Amino acid sequence: MLDLGIFLTLLVLGYGFGRVAESRHFRSIIEKERDFQDLLTFSERTLPTDIGDVDAALVGGNVVISIDYFKRIAAGLRSLVGGRIGAYESLLERARREAVLRMKQEARAKGATMIFNVKLETASISKGQNQQVGSVEVYAYGTALIPTAARPVASGV
Amino acid sequence: MYENRPPPEGINVSDEHPLKDFFILFGGIGVAIVILVIALSFVAGWLGRFVPFEVEKKWAQKALSFSESVGDVSRSEPQGPGDDQPHAVQLYLQDLADRLADAQGLPDGMGIRVHYVDDDTVNAFATLGGNVFVFGGLLEKLPHENALAMVMAHEIAHIKHRDPLVAAGRGLTVGLALASLAGLGNSQAVDAALGQVATVTVLKYSRNQETAADIAAMATLDRYYGHLSGAEVLFEALHEHSQSYEPPIFLSTHPVTQQRIDAIKAYRRHASTTGALTALPTNLPLAR
Repeated sequence: MLDLGIFLTLLVLGYGFGRVAESRHFRSIIEKERDFQDLLTFSERTLPTDIGDVDAALVGGNVVISIDYFKRIAAGLRSLVGGRIGAYESLLERARREAVLRMKQEARAKGATMIFNVKLETASISKGQNQQVGSVEVYAYGTALIPTAARPVASGV
Repeated sequence: MYENRPPPEGINVSDEHPLKDFFILFGGIGVAIVILVIALSFVAGWLGRFVPFEVEKKWAQKALSFSESVGDVSRSEPQGPGDDQPHAVQLYLQDLADRLADAQGLPDGMGIRVHYVDDDTVNAFATLGGNVFVFGGLLEKLPHENALAMVMAHEIAHIKHRDPLVAAGRGLTVGLALASLAGLGNSQAVDAALGQVATVTVLKYSRNQETAADIAAMATLDRYYGHLSGAEVLFEALHEHSQSYEPPIFLSTHPVTQQRIDAIKAYRRHASTTGALTALPTNLPLAR
């Protein structure tokens, strides 16, 4: 009886807070992506030859997002029968996009206009009892290209 | 020259409402568990009845770690010098149980052994091997022998129906099944939630057994006393005792007491309801 009450309370709390946090996070992600749209990212490793005179720097953005109780239960049930875990898909989507945004933020602070060789790393952390996933980490990193203002591009001789 | 266009939304994240997915999953898996538990309970209960009572008695001795003499009226020792009252209460209870067992028509080889527990707990229960435990706290609440006989006949009916054995077998089977399911959900909380579903299902069996025992007990009282007067006093006493807290019906092991009182009233339409009440022996510390 008490167990059931605690379980339902946690489930409702997890759902309510998780839902609000997620939609708020997606709104902020879409807004920031618009802000950073002029800072270009490429997965390409090699630079175009006409890139001009640039400095390079490693930039990275890291984000850790915890799942909520509702997501944990939903994913646990899903793992009994298989299929898409929608609860985790949205979680990872948020983490990936937020990590790229933080990377871009660092790049802009350095005065970069482009980031090349962008890569993403994912790790689930705080695996607790029963190896359950507690939160997910995404790290985005790449090589930021900072135009060297002092030397004009392709000035020659 | 180059451009990063904003990615379209809704590709990696599905638009489906998370609650819809959740309820479909929980409902589906819940139904599967209920079916599994019902199937296992049925098999366990059905097989349990094939266990001879003699074997059950031996298990009971091991499980409850009784020596032959504990609780055996003929051989038990008084509790202490000058204090043989529990002994006398037990003799009386055993005698009543034997008479009611006769009235109920226990099969050959099945016997009731009553154990009086001098404790304030308001309870009585039947367990493996025909052992019935009656607590002092319950006796204090009962005003006359008819109410006590209702308790006793109810517990004897459990023995006759092999309910303790069936419950033990069911508990073991369902417990094993759930233990082997544990971990599949990848989360303790999921295991706990599915366990709750199984528990609620098993409790339904428990309530059915209680109802069957109530009906058998009323039939026994009707046969033994010739009337059913006073039987409902037991439940009224229990109701009074438990009024502070009664769990919702689907979480109780027993039917809600009000329902049991109603069941008695319904049954009494077929039986005589008036008759002299038999007093409890006055020389025993029972009715206070």
